[in-house]
Parts: sequence; C-alpha cells; structure tokens
Amino acid sequence: MSSIDITAAPAEPLRERKVSARIWRLAFASIEFRIGLAVLVLLIAAAVLYPSLSGIDPVKMNIKAKLTPPLFMGEGWAWSHPLGTDQLGRDMLVRALVGLRYSLLIGVSTTVLMLLVGALVGLFAGYFGGRTDMVLMRLTDAQLSIPMIILAITILGVSRPTIPSIILVLGLAGWPVYARVMRSTAMSERKKEYVRGAMVLGATDWRIMFALILPLVLPPMAFVAVLDIARMMIFESVLGFLGLGVQPPTPTFGNIIADGRKYLMNAWWIATMPGVFMVLVLTSINLMGASLERARNAIYGGA
Amino acid sequence: MLDGIRNRTLLSVRNLSVAAGDRTILDGVSFDLQPRQILSVIGESGSGKTVLARTLASWLSPPLRVAGGEVLFEGRDLLADPAHARSLAGRKIAYVGGNPAGALDPTMTVGAQLVEKLRAVRPDIPAAKARDKAIQLLKAVRIPAAEQRFHEYPFQYSGGMMQRAMIVDALISDPALLVADNITQPLDVTVAAQILKLMRELNAEFSTAILFICSSLPVACDAADEVMVLHKGRVVERQAPAALTALPQHAYTHALIAELPTLWQGGPDRRRAPAAERPVMSVRGVSKAYETRGKSGRALVQAVRNVDFDVFSGDNFGIVGESGCGKSSLMRLLTGLERPDGGQILFKGEDVGAASPGRLRELRREFQLVLQDPYGSLPPQSSIGAILEEPLKIHRIGSRAERRDRARAAMSEVGLHPGLYESLPTGLSAGQRQRLNVARAMILEPDLLIMDETLSALDQTEQGKLLDLFERLQAQHGFTYIFISHDLTMVRQVCSRIAVMYLGEAVEVAPNGRLFFDPGHPYTRALLSAAPTLEPRRYRPEDCLLEGEPPSPIDLPPGCAFASRCPHVMDRCRRDNPALLSRGDQALAACFLNESKEAAHV
Amino acid sequence: MFILRFLARRLFQGAIIVFLVSALIFTLLRVVPGDPVRLMAGGMAPEALIEQIATDMGLRDPIWQQFGRYIGGVVQGDLGQSFVRPANGAAVGGASFDDTTRSERAEVLTLIADTAPMTLQLALLAMGFALVIAVPIGVWGGLRPGGWPDRMALYLSSLFVSLPNFWLGIVLALVLSVKLQLMPAIGYKGFAYAILPALVLAIEIAPFLIRTLTVSVAGVMGQNFIDIARVRGLTRDQIVFRHALKNSSIPLLNLIGVQFSMLLGGVLVIEFIFDYPGLGLLTINAVMQRDFPLIQGIAIVTAAAFVLINIVVDLVATTIDPRLEY
Repeated sequence: MSSIDITAAPAEPLRERKVSARIWRLAFASIEFRIGLAVLVLLIAAAVLYPSLSGIDPVKMNIKAKLTPPLFMGEGWAWSHPLGTDQLGRDMLVRALVGLRYSLLIGVSTTVLMLLVGALVGLFAGYFGGRTDMVLMRLTDAQLSIPMIILAITILGVSRPTIPSIILVLGLAGWPVYARVMRSTAMSERKKEYVRGAMVLGATDWRIMFALILPLVLPPMAFVAVLDIARMMIFESVLGFLGLGVQPPTPTFGNIIADGRKYLMNAWWIATMPGVFMVLVLTSINLMGASLERARNAIYGGA
Repeated sequence: MLDGIRNRTLLSVRNLSVAAGDRTILDGVSFDLQPRQILSVIGESGSGKTVLARTLASWLSPPLRVAGGEVLFEGRDLLADPAHARSLAGRKIAYVGGNPAGALDPTMTVGAQLVEKLRAVRPDIPAAKARDKAIQLLKAVRIPAAEQRFHEYPFQYSGGMMQRAMIVDALISDPALLVADNITQPLDVTVAAQILKLMRELNAEFSTAILFICSSLPVACDAADEVMVLHKGRVVERQAPAALTALPQHAYTHALIAELPTLWQGGPDRRRAPAAERPVMSVRGVSKAYETRGKSGRALVQAVRNVDFDVFSGDNFGIVGESGCGKSSLMRLLTGLERPDGGQILFKGEDVGAASPGRLRELRREFQLVLQDPYGSLPPQSSIGAILEEPLKIHRIGSRAERRDRARAAMSEVGLHPGLYESLPTGLSAGQRQRLNVARAMILEPDLLIMDETLSALDQTEQGKLLDLFERLQAQHGFTYIFISHDLTMVRQVCSRIAVMYLGEAVEVAPNGRLFFDPGHPYTRALLSAAPTLEPRRYRPEDCLLEGEPPSPIDLPPGCAFASRCPHVMDRCRRDNPALLSRGDQALAACFLNESKEAAHV
Repeated sequence: MFILRFLARRLFQGAIIVFLVSALIFTLLRVVPGDPVRLMAGGMAPEALIEQIATDMGLRDPIWQQFGRYIGGVVQGDLGQSFVRPANGAAVGGASFDDTTRSERAEVLTLIADTAPMTLQLALLAMGFALVIAVPIGVWGGLRPGGWPDRMALYLSSLFVSLPNFWLGIVLALVLSVKLQLMPAIGYKGFAYAILPALVLAIEIAPFLIRTLTVSVAGVMGQNFIDIARVRGLTRDQIVFRHALKNSSIPLLNLIGVQFSMLLGGVLVIEFIFDYPGLGLLTINAVMQRDFPLIQGIAIVTAAAFVLINIVVDLVATTIDPRLEY
C-alpha cells in the first residue's frame, strides 16, 4: 500500500516565522535602529522622570534666574539649568521635556488613528474593487488634494484647539496615504492563491478580509507608521508655532519656539535649544522607522 | 589537430569546478564542442547545468566562484582572462535564458533594444544596417508582421514570441556559440516544438554551435545530435540520442529513462472504466467573456465558448489544453468562483451557476478544489493544523476536539506526520505542501475533487507518489476527479476520459485510449505529435506541426477557431463552426473531417 | 485621440474633486464656532449691528443657499470679496465698525493672483534645490544597496526629516543671514530673498525623494532585464543611464506630484517666518482673520493646482512607461 512515504517527525520545533517578527529582528540587527532605540528610550525616561525628580515647575516664573544661558555657552550658566532659562526664568530643560510628553502623546495617538482609519478604508476598497473602490478612492483623492496643513489650520484656526481636536484633525488629515497603500496591498493579496483557496472552501468575504488578509498586512504597515509618528510630532509643533496647538501656559515645542523668536538676538537659546532637543528625538525615531522600513522592503522583496 | 585553423575545436572545457561557499556545484566537468554542433545537456535541478551555462556566458556572481579548470574558447582560456571573456559576451558567445518575460526593458521597444545590443557589441555597424538586420532576423524566426513588431513593446509580445525575440537578440551579432538555458520549459508543448525546429534551421543557416540545456530527457533528445548527462556536477555520459535511449551506460541515465512515463507503450494502468450512471457534473453550453482594454477602448475576451461535457461518478476526467485555451477560466466556473455568462453547470442536477451564495457555500462541501501553487496556496502564517481545521470552522462542523481529530486523521491519510500539527508549513517541500492541499480539500468529504494543475510544480518522482496517493484515496473514499493539466503524459497515465480545449472550446472529448490512438481532431493530433517522448512518435511532427500563433481571442474569425492553422482546412471550416459530433463509443470531436469520413465509410 | 479622452476624463474628475473640496471647506467654516462678523466689526459692536451686517452679507441664510450662490459666482470667475482686506492694498482691515473710511473690499481673485506667482517661484526653486540634493545621493545609494553610500543616504534623510522646518528656518536665518551676512532673509526685495526660504523647503522634502530613489533604483537594478543586459553585451554605463534610471523615474514622478502637496503645506510656515509675500502668508493671515471668502478661494485654487499637477505627472508617466494606459 505505501508507496507513499510518511514525512519524518519534525527534528526540532519550527521557530516562529511570523513576518512581523522577522521584520523586527532584521531591523534590530542594524546599528541605526539600535542607536535610535537607545536614544529614544533615554529621552522618554527623562521626559517621564526628570520633571518630577528635579522638582522644577515648568510654568512657575523665577525672575531672578531669567535669561540664563545653557551649559558652557555665555556667562552665568548654571548646572541647575542645563539648557538655560527663558525670559520668565522658567527652566528650558524641564519645559522641553514636558513638551516632549505632549508631542509624543499627540504623535502616537494621531498615527494610530490614521493607521486604523486608512487601513479599513483601503481594505474595503482593495478587496471589493469596482464601485466601492472607485467611491472610496475618489474620497481619498479629494482629501489628498487639500494639503494637510490648510485643513488643520482652517479647522483649528477658526475654533479653539484642544488636544482631542488636534488629534482628530491631524489623524483625519493623514489617513489617505495609508488607505492607498492598504488598497494596493489588499488588491494584490486578493489575487493570490491562498485567498482563492479560502473562497473555494466557502469562507465569507468578511472572514477572508479580517481573519486572513488584515493580520498579514497590518503589522508591516504599522512598522512603517513609526516614521509618521515623527512627522506628526513636527506637524503638532508647527501648529503650536502658529498658535494653533496646545495653548500656553502648557509648554510644547511649538509655542516655546514661537515665544523665543522675539529674543533671538540676545537669548538665542530659547528658540534654538528646544529645537535641538526635538531634532534628537525625531532623528532617533526616524532612524528606527527607516530601519524598519528597510527591513520590511527586504523581507517583502525577497518573499 | 594539424588541420587548418578552421577545424579547431570551438569550445573546450577542461576539468571545470565551480563552488559556492564550500559546496561543490560543478566537479571536474570536461567536454568539447565543435563548430556548428548541437549538444544538449540534461540534468535534474541541482545538477549544475545552469551554473555551467552561466560560467560559459561569464555570468558568475558571488557566492559562486570558479574553483579550478579551464574554459577554452577558440583556444583562449576565458577564466584566466576575464576582460577577454567580457568582450566576448553578447558578441561571440550568446546566451538565451528560460525566463523571457522580464528579459527586456519594458519601457523601450523591442526593436530599439535589439539595435542597441548589436551596436553595443559591434559599434562599427551603422544604425540603419542594424535595424535591417534585426527585422530580417525577426522574420527568420517566424514572427508575423516583423516590421510592425519591431516597434512594439515587450508587454505586447506573447511568451513564445518573446522567446523568439530573445533568440534574435542572441543571434544578431553572429555568435559562434549559443548557450540556450532551459528555453523551452515555460512554453506550451506546440510552441516548444516550433522553437526546437527553429533552432535546427538557425543552426544550419547561421552556422552557430548550440549548447542546449534542459531538464527533460525527451526534449534533449529531440533537440540535438548528442546528449550529455550531468549528475551532481559531473558528466556521467555523452551519446547520440538513439544510442542513449537504447543503451544507457550510466546507472543514473538508466534510472532516468526508466522513470519516464510513457505515452504510447504500456505503463501503469490507472484508468478506470467510466460508469454509465447519471453524471456527477454536467457542463452544458457554458460560456464566459471578460472585459479588457483593447486597442480602441473596451474589448471582450471570449475565454470560454460553448463548452459541453459530462463527468461520471468514479471518473478521472482530464481537461487538457495549452495556455489561452480557457481551462483556467473554466476551472473558475466549475468551482463556483465565477458565474458563467451562458449555459449551465450542473452538479448532481443542481445548477451551480444559478445558486444563491448561501446554497453555493453548502454545495462547497460536496465538491472541492485542489490548487496549483504549493507555495502561494497556503495561508502564510497559519500552522498546518489550523489550515486543516479552517474548512471545518467555516462550515461549522464538529466541536474543537472533533475538528482536531479529523485534522490529524487527514494528515496521516495523506502521509504527513501528525507531529507536524503545530508547525508552520515553511519546512515542507513542494510535494508535501500539495499533500496538505489535498488533505484540506478532502477534509469536508466531498464527492468531487477538481485538481487544477496540482502536479505541475512537482518533479517526476513526487508526481508519481502523489498519483499513487490519489488512487488510494479514490479507492477508499470513492472520489471523482477532474484533472486540469497541460501535461499529456500525466493525463495519459491517470485519466479515464479526456477533453481537449482550444481557444475556449472543447474540441474533442474521448476515452483515454481512443484519444491517444485515434484522435478525431487535427489539433489533438498536433498536440500529440509535439508531446516530448523517448519512444518513436506515433504522429509525425512534419504532418501535424502547427505554424504561427493562435488567433487573438478578442476578435475571433467566424467559423472553426482552428481553421487558420489546420493542415486539412476546407472552405467550409472558415464559414461554420463545427459542433461536437459523436464518433461512437463516447468519443466526440468538433471537426468536419469526421463527417466526411463517416460519409465516406457509410 | 486618446490623449484628449484622457484629458477630458481627468479634468472632469478634477472638477468634481475641486467641487467637493470647496463644499467641505465652505461647510466647515460655517459649522465650526467662531464668528467672522464679530472680528470684522470689532469687539465693541452691538449685537444688533452684528446681526444686521451678517444678514446683509448673507451669512444667516441656510448653508446650501449660501453655497449655491458662492458656486454660481465661482463658475463665472468671481471668487468673492475678502471679508477683511481693503482694496487699496493694506495688509489688514481697517478700524472698527463705524469707521466711515472703510473702503471697498479686495477681490479674492486679485489677492490670490498677486501672491500666487511668488509662491510658485519659491516652490519651483525649492523643488530644484531638492532634486539637486536628492538625486545624486539617492541614485548612488540605490546603486550600492547596503554599502556606505546607501547608509549615508539613510542617515542624511533621517536627519533632514527630523528638522522641523520652522526651527530650521529660524536657525538658518540666524546663522546665514544675521551672523554670517551671506544672504537676505526677511521680506522680499529681489530674487535673492527667495533663496533661503527655498533652501529650507528643499531640506524638508529632500528626504522623501532620497528614500524613494534609493528604493526604486535598488529595485530596478535587481530586475531580470538588468541582469541579463550584461550578458547580452551592454556596458555598465549604458545599463545604468539608459535603462535603470529611466525605469526608476516613474515612482519618482509620482512622488514629485505628492511632494508638491507637501510643499504647499511647508510654504505656509516658511513664508510666515520669512515674511515672504506669497500665498502661504496670505493663507495664514486669512485664517487668523476668519476671512472666509479668501480661505475658500485659496482652497479652491490649491485643490485645482494639485489636480493639474497630478494630471501632468500621469501624462509624463505614460510617455515613459508604455504599459500604463490613458
């Protein structure tokens, strides 16, 4: 009977080969990713811990210490104010760290919102095709035709900006890109044989979309979304700069820099130091995000 | 040796060894090739033949490296002098690969690229002359409307035409040696036969020596004057085809020949006598057209036109045809993935095409599909157990424990170790994956299993094992099979009744023996004459071989679709389209020749 | 001709998109809290007068009626009048509600037409700088994936994308203009004033161009026909310059189209910082002043510009890649 050979018992349990794990591992192997991760973790820890540990209140004025320059630059610098103080004597480092908290909060929530909305729209458009696709894509195009910032400042400039409304506006303005990417991925996945196999077995469209395709394509997209966290943080700071972000006295990068502009000549650090800080945070996020994107391209390109 | 320079050996490979890391790929390969000689090299995958081809074309990239030996071309060692080797590339040594699809830049016309290539290797030739030469060669390889095709883009060429264009590209610089690496494998049988004939003609006309590399022994024997067998990186044998087939000298060759299934002589008999009961599946006048963008707006592609056949319980029904014949579209209609535009598909009397989605889902428990691609057809991240349980979950059969048991039982039935239940399919070979596919289709205990090119991706031994499995399962569960395939040899071994498709129609439906030994349609005869085999051919290619390409399915001429290529075409054929006529004993063919024969016999 | 059919179809779709955008902005402005009339009339104006002015301006009518009137005007080329700016060219509106010296309001169309060329100049200059920076780095990185040009491209693009444009503008203005006196920064008194803003914008969009280029060049170089080209006898230079670059330019083209949208966003902030009299500065002021007609007009113009850019990009792409259809 048996000209059929039974396959041998597995020698070792097969290691986890989920695509998302592979992407993560490949990215982690690169130096850029690790540098970015290390710096980011350090800064987040500082943002969480330092303001409380140092006991300095970011909004309390301390006129005596006003306009102190940062470490080693100019006269009268002090260790107690490593990044200097502003025109009201508020410590720049603490203000920057508090600003970082808000930036991260808004950046991450906005990105998550964008990702989810965009992914759902793209999934439906790409899977069903035809009329659904056309309608959803026209909607996406229309949204893409308005530069994000015009939409944001229109809404926020004309009404009062609060944190939820900022998150909503930024998130809703940025989803079209994800919708497009998800749509093309869903379209190509749909043509693959395993989807056809599931159809023949009798699976419903919903089952195929949510149990089969979505878990497969969402994690890689989520990795690329890391880059958008940085982008959204910049947008938030731009809004803050224009006065449309989180309102003073809560310090955010944007409004600190906007304030500091007036003192550019004699106390240049008020406007520039927070920016340097921000560049550090963003670069580390972007290094991580770029490595993840590369890893994803490598794995998918090879697959 | 002391003869004039003219008779110097063209290519002399001495003790060539190539390795990748510490793995030896080619081990001391030595052979000679004379000018104007055609030599086939045959070996299974992993034997090193592609590496040999690439070494000759100076196309080795890391991690492959030459570990020793010489390659003397016209007396000079290419390995010792890479600059010289590079100067020969494309000029005196030409290479054609097995993947015509991506071979040219999609943004430039084919003609422009041919001219570019010629002027790159022979800058002394002016552009106008290069252009003329390209067109002349395009005509020589029988590309219709060569002047027009010259200005077209690669995506407008079919697979067969593109392969010919690549041959033109290789020959345009008048090379002394052409290395043809697996060029016929992706092509249909009749197209491959045309290319082989073409190679012989070009060899005579242009005095080019050809090194023809392939993985199929029958094709190798057809193509060349001598066949060289490569096994595990070594040359094990070299003889003329007839001698090789009759008296193989090496054990490996012997085993290779023994393993080849035969078309004409006796072989393992897996054919069943068809039961004459009510048919399990009936296809009646089914047609389907697809919209596509043509030259001027929308155009309709008639993928399936008026197909008619019955499949009885216990049958192994085969559907064969070349690319573009509509069998893939038919498959989608049979499995309910798409609805036909016209006609009916009756499964046990019920019209599948008209069923509601809910009813269709219920019906799916009774007929299932086994897919073609062993790698793409399995969901990438599910464990084997999950894949098997999926159909049960979809149809809500059984409790968790019951599903698990059934999955395990299915696994042992197809020969997969039950311990693999939790693992991902990544470690499985192609053959094992296909078993998994079969198990998945079987687990719902259907009556009918449709196999869509299920064995095409497997090599000979694996195919044999799976065919045994199918037979066993059929004996045990009483399945009916429909095999969709382009491989006549496989169909010959397995199927009880066969339908031959051409351009969307079933042009012949007959029992196995009748189809092969007394075909009723000229296309069937052409197909059979082109089928590669070591045995003496039953139908001579010279009588039946098709020229040119089939007409475009977008605007089909009236009358019989085969009329433009039929060797026995009559006036009537261009006016009327013949229907399937009975020739007695359950054999049907759609050709007017049968009528006249019957008329003559009566 | 097929091009005509293509153009007709796309322009029609574009018109719909512009219509949708305009409707969206229109509705948003009227739905979101914040009364423009109050701003115009001044904080001291009595309620009754506010109502009067609002009704006169048609702001109390149902939205769809207002929109209808607006669209009617747009189709005839009239984008309405600014709520705030006077026609005599002063930047901000006049004094309080009962000031009789308040003159005619400026035409939105005129305001836009005056400032748009400035922004166009800035955008083109910025795109030019960006391409000069990005193309060499991106192509080089793509030709040697994994090598150090590639890593450098990664670091550089990560750095550039982390520099907030407004901060960079301030810093560069401080360093290059004030401390080093190399080029002028604020305002506009000649072409040189556009260089610094354009540079900042270029640094903002360059990373996306670099990233796309490295990926697409590396992708193309890995394709079958590039591999085979060497065996066919083509030289490396021919392969890279005639085939690889041409094939990788298509994703780049698509990106350039999208980047113009990014540019429009960045232009806003940059013009604000450098006091560059372009469309961006106009927009910011319009939003601050709740100048509805001006905001609407700008939205329509930018949407239309975006649609046109996309059409041009697609047309050019079809000439390069024959597989794309009209």
